[in-house]
Amino acid sequence: MHKRALSFLILAICSEATLAQSTSVSEARERAAPSRVAENVYAGARPRLLQVRTLVAVAGRQSSIGSGFLVSHDGLAITNYHVVSQYALEPRTYRLEYTAPDGFRGMLQLLAIDIANDLAVVRLDKPGRPYFPFDLRAIRGSLPKGERLYSMGNPLDLGFTIVEGIYNGLVERSYTERVHFSGALNPGMSGGPTVTAGGHVVGINVARRLGAELVSFLVPARFAVALIDRAAHVEALTPANARAEIGRQLADWQRDLYRTIDERGFRSAVLGPYDAPESVAPWFSCWARTNTDDVPRARAIINSTNCNTDTRLYIARDLSTGTISISHSYARSLDLNSFQFAAFLSKQYQPSWLGGWSRKRQTRQRCHEDFVAASKSQNRPPLRAVWCARAYREYEGIYDVSLLLVTQDRSNEALMSKLTMQGVAYDNALTLGRRFMDAIQWSK
Amino acid sequence: MEQVIWIEILSRHHDVIERHRCTGPEIRIGRGYDNDVVLDDPYVAPRHLRVFRAENGSLVAEDAGSANGLYTERGIAGREGIVLDGNSILRIGRTQLRVRESQHEVSPERISMPPTRVWPVAGILIGALLAIEVISLWLGETAEFKVSRYAIPLLTILLVALGWAAVWAVLCRIFAGRLRFARHVIIALGGLLGFSLYNELAQYGAFALSSRVISAYSDMGMWFILALVCFYHLRIISPARLRLKAGVVAVLAAVAVVMQLLSQSETRSDADPQGFVRRLEPPAMRLLPPQNEDAFFADAKRLEGRLDRARMEESLSDGPYRSSEDDD
Repeated sequence: MHKRALSFLILAICSEATLAQSTSVSEARERAAPSRVAENVYAGARPRLLQVRTLVAVAGRQSSIGSGFLVSHDGLAITNYHVVSQYALEPRTYRLEYTAPDGFRGMLQLLAIDIANDLAVVRLDKPGRPYFPFDLRAIRGSLPKGERLYSMGNPLDLGFTIVEGIYNGLVERSYTERVHFSGALNPGMSGGPTVTAGGHVVGINVARRLGAELVSFLVPARFAVALIDRAAHVEALTPANARAEIGRQLADWQRDLYRTIDERGFRSAVLGPYDAPESVAPWFSCWARTNTDDVPRARAIINSTNCNTDTRLYIARDLSTGTISISHSYARSLDLNSFQFAAFLSKQYQPSWLGGWSRKRQTRQRCHEDFVAASKSQNRPPLRAVWCARAYREYEGIYDVSLLLVTQDRSNEALMSKLTMQGVAYDNALTLGRRFMDAIQWSK
Repeated sequence: MEQVIWIEILSRHHDVIERHRCTGPEIRIGRGYDNDVVLDDPYVAPRHLRVFRAENGSLVAEDAGSANGLYTERGIAGREGIVLDGNSILRIGRTQLRVRESQHEVSPERISMPPTRVWPVAGILIGALLAIEVISLWLGETAEFKVSRYAIPLLTILLVALGWAAVWAVLCRIFAGRLRFARHVIIALGGLLGFSLYNELAQYGAFALSSRVISAYSDMGMWFILALVCFYHLRIISPARLRLKAGVVAVLAAVAVVMQLLSQSETRSDADPQGFVRRLEPPAMRLLPPQNEDAFFADAKRLEGRLDRARMEESLSDGPYRSSEDDD
């Protein structure tokens, strides 16, 4: 429904994407004329870079590739979680390998993951190679906007590459902290380092915006430092407990998110004779739609606003979660009678799940529906309410929930409101759902 | 006085094909031209059957020395012959026949009904059916008016009704010998009328009572109506053995319902239309008093347990640890 909604390309690469992307590679090459500095940076970085490859164990062929870099003398390396997600979730089907620019190769052990920041710590089977230091100014957050940075990785499996770009601070109005890097990141560079001219790591390549030029994102270095620290102190991830770890991180992550949303609170937006809640939190991106200009002229006017958070979490190639969506549609009949108007509303009357359903990932939805009246103290119209939920099969206590509300006070106008919460604990969903319902009121 | 005896040649379904009027103390039946009744059946002997009056006055049939013998409905007849009662059916070769005397009792004449005015009734039914459909289409109309949006469904309904009735009429012609097309049309129309009335009611009822059950299982009612329609069609064909027909129709409907429930439960997906009542109606159609908010969220909370159970059950059948990803 919202084509303008943010679309990111996660920079891991899978086999089928290679050809489709080939034009963008040549463009990227034309503009990046390497400087003397870049030459030096790359010369220093070369033995510290890795290509991280996920192979189908049986076939021995790569199923996805990304990049990584060494961060300690004993063979620890950082990459993106999404580069190793297949291995993390299905350790029996896949295996994880690395290749260095000098042809050095071997197996990787997965030690720790951070799904909220899309990071993973892996250990090489042969330690003793040089490694990257982290940039202290970046960790303290005192890097100046406009500083030149150099991003490295192996884009599209074409060979190790260095790309020049500019540090543009943290992305504003974003729940997840991300560095805005103005440089050409391409699929396959995921997990590679972006460094200063001195060769200190500022961030980890993670994503770029589709439909934009050179708008790329890095995970701030401090999260990598924290994860390395955690990997050193917490027992290593084993294939058996990776799923449980993801579930635990999801649970922690959503608890923080919903606490923050609850603390920030809601404001009222006026839609016709109704007030509808909108989150005050700045990381909702909102778009409006109307059908007033439609030809042929619509027989009922409908004005919609749709707000989505940018909190999408990558879990697996076919499973992303974490988005919250709030949408309100105010509809008023122009020349439809009350039955026709109800039929008109019925067309919008379905939960929006923000993504497909996979039998492997979620249970089927279960719904509860009823007419809900307001208590006497509330200045609220009666509602028709549908509460639909489905459970994640692999992660205990995590659900997708959608609440659908339609005002039932008039036969020729109505407010239809939807709240969709992905990857939420049930109690958080109930609390936010109730707050959402309470906030639908008659305008004063 | 010599009594008249009728020899009736029967079809496989025991309809009379020919009737021969015979007199005399003894009637001979066979393929030869010296018989009273000559049969052109190659499996019949030139002199096959003899019908005569026994000393006690009853008619007896006896094999006149054929190779193939004489059969009754119960099997081959013995040497001593068969005592005939006017209803027993004999078979010689491949021919079935029956022997009746002139005193054989027949049922009283059937009183002929004045021809019922069937077509006006059909007209009224068509009118009502089309009216319901037009109103239903009009109430669901949210875009520009287009004639085809009304004309096509209405024509389809009429053609379906006529086609359905025609099939039954042909069956009726085969089994009962008469088309009775008008009556079949009326039954088809009546069924469709009940069908669409029920459909509309179920839809409004699902919303008014906020009951997913009504919309999820409205098909059960549809099958019931279909079974009823079939029963009436069968009754038109022949009013005999109504209990048996009702039983067969009921069993078929039950099988259909079970099959449908099975396929519903097996193909349910996320886009499951039965998740909740999809069609909204004007607020005035609500019949139930609204719940309060606490009760609504208490019910919503109850789903959590059901989802957790579903999670466990579905995991058992195809565990999440089994890989099903295919990357190439």
